[in-house]
Amino acid sequence: MSEEIKQEAPKKFTVTIDNIVVEVSPGTTILQAARMIGGDVVPPTMCYYTPLKESGGKCRTCLVEVSKGSEKDPRPMPKLVASCRTTVMDGMEVKNITSERTLHARQGVVEFLLINHPLDCPVCDQAGECDLQDLSFGHGEGGSRLDFPKRTFTKHNIGPYIQLHMTRCIMCYRCVFAADQLTEQREHGVLDRGYHSEIATYIEKALTNDFIGNVIDVCPVGALTDKTFRFKNRVWFTRPEDAHRDCDKCCGKVTLWKRGDEVLRVTARKDKWNEVQTYEDGTVGWICNECRFEKKNTSDWIIEGPTNVSRHSIKSVNHYINMLKPKETIPDVMGRNPKLLLDIHSVSDVNDPSIHLSKINGPATSKTFNKLIENKE
Amino acid sequence: MGVKLLLEKVHVEGIRLYDVYKREGGYRAAEKALKTMTPDTIVEEVKKSGLRGRGGAGFPTGLKWSFLAKPEGVPRHLVCNADESEPGTFKDRYLMEYIPHLLIEGLIISSYALGSNNTYIYIRGEYAWIVDILEQAIREAKNNGWLGKNILGTGFDCEIYVQRGAGAYICGEETALLESLEGKRGNPRIKPPFPAVQGLWNRPTVVNNVETLAAVVPIINITGEEYAKIGVGRSTGTKLISACGNINKPGVYEIDMTISVEEFIYSDEWCGGIKNGKRLKACIPGGSSVPILPANLLLKTAKGETRYMNYESLSDGGFITGSMMGSGGFIVLDEDQCIVKHTATLAHFYRHESCGQCSPCREGTSWMDKIFQRLESGKGKMSDIDLLWHIQYNIEGNTICPLGDAAAWPVAAAIRHFRDEFEWHITHAEEAQNRNYGLAHYADPITVVQ
Repeated sequence: MSEEIKQEAPKKFTVTIDNIVVEVSPGTTILQAARMIGGDVVPPTMCYYTPLKESGGKCRTCLVEVSKGSEKDPRPMPKLVASCRTTVMDGMEVKNITSERTLHARQGVVEFLLINHPLDCPVCDQAGECDLQDLSFGHGEGGSRLDFPKRTFTKHNIGPYIQLHMTRCIMCYRCVFAADQLTEQREHGVLDRGYHSEIATYIEKALTNDFIGNVIDVCPVGALTDKTFRFKNRVWFTRPEDAHRDCDKCCGKVTLWKRGDEVLRVTARKDKWNEVQTYEDGTVGWICNECRFEKKNTSDWIIEGPTNVSRHSIKSVNHYINMLKPKETIPDVMGRNPKLLLDIHSVSDVNDPSIHLSKINGPATSKTFNKLIENKE
Repeated sequence: MGVKLLLEKVHVEGIRLYDVYKREGGYRAAEKALKTMTPDTIVEEVKKSGLRGRGGAGFPTGLKWSFLAKPEGVPRHLVCNADESEPGTFKDRYLMEYIPHLLIEGLIISSYALGSNNTYIYIRGEYAWIVDILEQAIREAKNNGWLGKNILGTGFDCEIYVQRGAGAYICGEETALLESLEGKRGNPRIKPPFPAVQGLWNRPTVVNNVETLAAVVPIINITGEEYAKIGVGRSTGTKLISACGNINKPGVYEIDMTISVEEFIYSDEWCGGIKNGKRLKACIPGGSSVPILPANLLLKTAKGETRYMNYESLSDGGFITGSMMGSGGFIVLDEDQCIVKHTATLAHFYRHESCGQCSPCREGTSWMDKIFQRLESGKGKMSDIDLLWHIQYNIEGNTICPLGDAAAWPVAAAIRHFRDEFEWHITHAEEAQNRNYGLAHYADPITVVQ
């Protein structure tokens, strides 16, 4: 018996994604294989969420071209496939950023996602850590071709903790899956059909379950935000710190978003794909409502230190310390170096990477820098 | 008069009743199948017949059946897709309403072939009265020992249940149908896994159209080889066409796929020509979601050959100069019809019926509908035509289920073939409110590209 397992264990599938070869175990999706490589070959995702079963396949931003089905059946797949829900085959060849067709389709999807999005980023609490912002910056077009009024909804109040902005929603179904899989009784879901479909409770109920706060973390846009953090601060002014406390309901491991000594917001810890972290023992770091909404004093928490920020997003702008650099794959894929919009370090002293902004207590001003620079010299 | 297999006995008085149907030779195929054939030989026979799915996609039925996973100890299901909601298609309704026992017999044979002990008919919600007809037929069949436990002493048990939909077009898509049948919101599932592996309640399932399952009866009666001799090429057997629009004799016709489109429209045996002596402008040959064809491309292909009423000939030339057989909803438009308005109606329909699950379809269909409303109300812009083209291009092929394609194809074909009519609608906005563009040159012979 044990011999059989040993023989089967090394069986791996070889997949080529954008000319980079990776070996993965059978049953892996194309997206997960791409994430093993990292960098730019990873398709963007809006609806897929690793810890949530059955999520994915809906937003169509992760479409990729399969130019060779497998070693056995080398025919290319006729349509673009959703990489988050398509499992790899041995010898499969996938084109993501090397395929014009994929990039064009993705641009189309981004346009579709944005036409009814209010683009109210200046007043949105999600701005700065929003997947849709990253997506439209990376793959969208500059202007909009829509010249009709955008879709609006009747506002629903879904309780004291969670703010629902239906106009911002992109119908990724993540919150529905999260509520379904984390809580006992799901009270919200998708009402109506097509263009008019909306996330709502039936009829006007407050979401009160102990773990329902996690829908805020899974929401890729600003449709579900934290009412206790509402309009308090911008994400990029706050400083994330890992912290934990003994909680009898959840794992108690969180990220505190602080400004000075004030805890403005508590969220679950996110990994580099902006998903709630899955720990080594396989548990997912969902946190309970008590940790999230009610423990807003530094004394409630045992602080572990600054969070490792690893996303290309405005969130990482002020956090040079412990910052994980994503793998650079462009030279392997395209045979050229990535195009920089602006090399900020060569034009500004303020963004000197040697200055650890997360070590500065409170907001950084020019005086702080002058002092730091003088001290250094 | 062509060959008739399905509608041969439809005009016999009282054929809806079991006794009359049995007297006219009904349940002969079921008896033959259950007593003398094994499930495998039935599947083999259907394979030999070359029967293709009559629901729209035209996938070979025998092949589909052979894909059904057969794990030990897991029940399998057969689901009959009677959610016929495609605008212009009403063939299944006719079949179920007038000769319900043909479907029941086909279901018994197919259930036996696939090993399905619980078979479901998912019927369109609007067909409320047909539910009663089918349930009556099932009751009669059960009373006469064709359903229930140990049918004809073969040890095979089968029950047929009728489930009414709630009026959603999307529930005609097989995975959305299964979701709806399970009592959930009718959202299409993401494939793979395919229903043949994980379908209804995660059990292997085959979903077939009403006409496909009814066609199994004549296949067993006359054998698959004989059935394959009817028709032409890979379009074997007979097909029900529901003809409607500006024709003298709208209705459901059974054709053997060897007649030409011209004959079908103008012959007195079938549609009987265009109403009021008008001229043919365009036609949708296979239900609202397939590309529309102008008269000159409908009767003759781009190569100048005659176009026939079968799968291959109708799709000759791809989507550039051809169309599709689809579900057989034959919609004829005469010279008085406005293509823009017609396409706007379809765009509105697809916007209304999109389930809203995936972004290109949810946002794209509504955007197209808004643009069409603008064009219709005389406020269109020239750039709208290109915009429509881009939107349909971005929807097509990028959605979870074929509804996105179905919404994109009519728009694409209308712009491709009738672009000057769209332009006229914009340049002559006021005039377009009062009169139609007319036939223009759409019936002129096309120049054959050598």
